[in-house]
This record gives sequence, structure tokens and C-alpha cells, in this order.
Amino acid sequence: MPPPLPREKSMSPRTEWIRGIIILVVLSLLPLIFQNPYTMSILILLFLYAYFALSWNILGGIAGQLSLGHSAYVGIGAYTSTVLFLQWGISPWIGMIVGAIFAAFAAILIGFPCFKLRGAYFSLATLAAAMILQIIVENTNNLLGGPRGLEITLLKDAPWQFQYTNKLFYYVIVVLLFFSVIGVTRWILHSRIGYYLNAIKNDQEAAQSLGVNLTRYKSIAAAISAIFTAIGGTFYAQFVLYINPEKIIGTNLSIQLAVMCIIGGRGTILGPILGAVLLVVSAELLHLYMGGKMIGLDIMLYGIILMTVIRFEPQGIYVLIRKFFNRFTRSTSPFRDGRSS
Amino acid sequence: MSILIQSFLNGICSGSIYGLIALSLSLLFGVMKIINFAHGAFLMMAMYFTLWICRYLGLHPLLTLLIVPPSMFAVGYLTQRFLIKSIYEKETAREPIGVLIFTTGLWIFLDSLFLLFAGPDAQVIKHGYVNQTLVLGDFIFSYTQIFGLLFSVLVGFAFFLFLKKTKTGRAIRATGQDREAASVIGVNSYRIYDISFGIGMAILGAAGALLLPLYSVYPFVGDVFGMRAFVIVVLGGMGSLSGAFWGGLIIGLIESVGAQFLPATFTEALILIIFLIILYFKPSGLFGLESE
Repeated sequence: MPPPLPREKSMSPRTEWIRGIIILVVLSLLPLIFQNPYTMSILILLFLYAYFALSWNILGGIAGQLSLGHSAYVGIGAYTSTVLFLQWGISPWIGMIVGAIFAAFAAILIGFPCFKLRGAYFSLATLAAAMILQIIVENTNNLLGGPRGLEITLLKDAPWQFQYTNKLFYYVIVVLLFFSVIGVTRWILHSRIGYYLNAIKNDQEAAQSLGVNLTRYKSIAAAISAIFTAIGGTFYAQFVLYINPEKIIGTNLSIQLAVMCIIGGRGTILGPILGAVLLVVSAELLHLYMGGKMIGLDIMLYGIILMTVIRFEPQGIYVLIRKFFNRFTRSTSPFRDGRSS
Repeated sequence: MSILIQSFLNGICSGSIYGLIALSLSLLFGVMKIINFAHGAFLMMAMYFTLWICRYLGLHPLLTLLIVPPSMFAVGYLTQRFLIKSIYEKETAREPIGVLIFTTGLWIFLDSLFLLFAGPDAQVIKHGYVNQTLVLGDFIFSYTQIFGLLFSVLVGFAFFLFLKKTKTGRAIRATGQDREAASVIGVNSYRIYDISFGIGMAILGAAGALLLPLYSVYPFVGDVFGMRAFVIVVLGGMGSLSGAFWGGLIIGLIESVGAQFLPATFTEALILIIFLIILYFKPSGLFGLESE
């Protein structure tokens, strides 16, 4: 069993308010610094990936079920809204909600067979499910565009159709999404569901023998995680205005999302954000300095980082940092957590 | 009708090689309880080794069977000893999740490493042997198929003999059944893990050497066969070695007979759907023990 995480300091309401204001100021200043469209796009993708990593975290981190098929939900979200829009002119805002509902059902359907089983079966089943979806999409040429994907008709400024020429709007939307997933994660962590999920993560058999309904709580975690991931999928489709199965449902994306969360810190809030920042920034820097010369170098880097983190701190970089700072606080005030006995 | 029989026989030939791939995956699971997500990547590595040996040393493709498995044994032995062991030691859970994550990292690392150095193109062996065929009445076989079947059965059989008859083989089985009890009677379990990982990779190396003449190799070739190996292992029962071999034959048959009725990509989907159905109704596998 992994050692319990060092506890977060509980803050007084006043410090919490101050922290909130600082974060708001920083977030509204960021677009001013990153004014040119390229850096702005990177900033938006950064928030989007952090959002994805946090969504993955609900199932993979808090509930401890390592999903390797989350790209399926990204795909369901993106394709549902896009197809509804292209075929029947339904607003992607509505498509986003429909896609989220589809993804929730898909998550329960995929997870149901293996929620009674342990660990690796779930990873394999999710991997297989995403592959099946990719094959289906690649072979449905008329409705889903086949392997070439779908292009979303450019409408310039159409707020009700989820299209803006100014990137600032996308930035605001992605920041709102980002905070909503943080809010839900915090709610789960402090609710009864969170305690059950934590028990399941630590020892499934023990949790079951104490009367925790495994299938039920894993399904809840899977559905919430899938809903957020699918919403992110719709956002991605509207932001890039082009989707294709390889990029959006492929195994690479699933692994990327899982890797971000794992190297940052499973089950925490700051961990997945840290992981996403680390991976997106390093990938962008590689693109910037290497250009298109060395394809796959970013994925290789992900692999190296993942192996190194698991080798030295399986709980992730965030826990490593916290342990580091706890060492200092422990040396100054011996009565904080775990006095030396 | 003769087309159907021909595809049936083709299925047995390729299925026997799949069985070999799954056998090595199942060995790692049975003995060490680890899920090796890098399995497909190691297979890809073995196929590139085979390709390079044929191309640069000019050896006959079948002679690579003498070189690739021992070098893969070394790769496996060193990977387990210097990379996986230290992660394994930290964990006490029955199915170590850290190793699963680590091998996922290894998988994407190896895939992109070979993409970088071997290029994205699919490559094939150029050798007279690859195109030779044997005509038996209505049926046509390539020599690569026949020797693939022959040698995979031989390797599988030799491995079973090794497990049954040798001291190391018995120690491996004992560790798989009960690690603590095995250490009580003096089996050094970490040493057994190193050897098992090496042997698993050696078997995989043999599979890669037999598979290459039938297919082409590219950096992501392992993703297809790796996933298939997982399907086979679950089909045959996690950790069941004979189940892996029979499962391989079944998947080989589904693939080649299914290709007569369905487009190739749908056959791939069909295999994955069968996998999910098995997980749902009989997670212990068709040939597995009820206890797992």
C-alpha cells in the first residue's frame, strides 16, 4: 500500500480569499503578456491539457483506475458536437452537452465489465475500447469523415455557434472549464464519494468487505471523468476547427493524458496541473528548437520523464516537492505533522 | 471451400507465432505478476534486430534464430535487473501498478526511439527464402509460414520441457505459485525474476525472428501485436502458459478466416470486441483456472 500523502495545510477563509484574488489577477494579466496569436494558442492548449489531466485524475488518480482509453471520450465529445453541427446545424454548445451524456454512458459501459476486477484488466479494456472506437470512426466515411476527419465550417464570429475570431474568448472559456473541474475535484475529495474512492484505491478487497459498492462508485468516478473529458473534446474541436481520428482518438492522446497526471501526482489537484505544464512546455520548446526534424522526440521525452518519476517518486513530482518543503518545516517546528518518535 | 481451408491453415501458421508472443507475456505475468505494456515494443525491437542481422551480415533469416533470442535474453535480463527490479522492490501490492506505469513509459520510449533512428517506413527482408513457396495440391504455402509453425511449436515445446525438467525451470514454477514459500526453500526470487524476464524476451525474440519474414517492420508494429498478445493472454487465462498457445491459434484463425468475410480493419475490431466480451463473461479466460 502506498504511504499516505502528506496532508495539505488547511487555510483560514481569509488567506483563501487572498489566494483567490491573486490567482484571478494573474489569470487576467496572462493574456496581456501573451498577446500574439501563437503564444496565446499555447496558453489555451496549456489550460486545456491541464483540464484534461485533471479530468483523467478523477478516475485515474482519485479512484486509482488507470484508464488508457480516455481519448475515446475526447473523441465522443468532439465528434458528437461536430456531427450534430455539420449535419443538422445544431449549436456545438448543445452538442457539447449531448456529447458529455454519451461519454458518461460509454464510460459506464466500458468500465462495467472490469470494475469487479483488479488493476490491469481495466487499463487493457479501456485501451481496447478506444481502439475499437478509432477503427469504427476511420471506417465510417460518410457521417464521420473516415481517416481524413472532419472540418468545421468557418463562421467567423458566431458566439452561439461556439466560434470566435478573438482567441481571448477561448481563453476565458477554457479557464472557466479549468476551474469547474478543480471545483468538482475538491468537492469529490471532501465528500463521502471521495472517501469511498480512496478506500477502493488503497485496498479494493478491504473496501468491499466494509460494504463499499465497487461497481457503483467506480462507475460514478468514470462517468464524471468522462463528462469533463468529452466537454474538453468539444472545446478542442471548436478551437482547432478540425478533428481526425488518429489525433483525437488515437492511443497517443490517451497515454499523454495519463502521463501528465501520473508524473505530476495522482489524486492531487496541483499535481496534474504541474504535469500538464511540464509536458506541454517541454514539447513546445522541442518543436521550437528542433522544428519538424525529429518526429517523436517529444513522445520519447514523455517516456523518459515517466520512467524517471516512477523510478524515484511513484507518487509524482508534486509529492516530491511537498516532501522537500515539509522537511524544512519539520526542522523549524518539530510539532507539525509526524513529530520524530 | 478450398479458399476457406487455405485460410484456416494460414491462420494456424500465424496463430502459432502469436501463441509464442502471448506465451512470453503470460510467463512474465505468471511468475512476476507484472503486466508488461512494453511487450509489443520489445517485439518490434526483436524484429528490427532480425532485419539488421539479415541485411548487414547477410545471414539466412532462419539463422537469426541463433542470434536474436540470446541478445533479447540479455536485453530482458538487464532491463529487469537494472530498471524494473528497484521499482518492484518498493511495491508490496499483489499486482504492482508502478511496474505497469513504468513499462508504459518504456513502451512509448522505445517506439519513438526506433522512429527516430530507423525511420517511419515499413521495411521488409530481401532474401530468396522469403518468396519460396510449396505447392501441395490445391494449397500454397510459403516456406516462411511452414518454418514459422514448425519452429514456434519447437520453441514452445522446448520451453515446456525446460520448465518441467530443469532445476531453474522448477524454481521458476515454484516462484510463480508462491513466492514466499519458494524463498523459504532457498529460491532467490529476484534472481528468478531476472532469468524469467530474460527467457520471456528470448521467446519473444524467436517470435520476432519468425514473424518478420511474414510481415514488414515499422516502429509501431508492436502496438498491433502487443495488443493482440494481451487479447490472447486474457483469452487463454492470465498466467496460463498452455492457454496462451491455444489462444494464439484461436486468434490466428479468427484473423485469417475473418479476413475472408470482413475488411481487415474490422477483423481487428472483432478481435478487440471478443476481448471485451471475454473480460465481461469469463475474466479467468477460456483455459484459465477458476481461482483467479
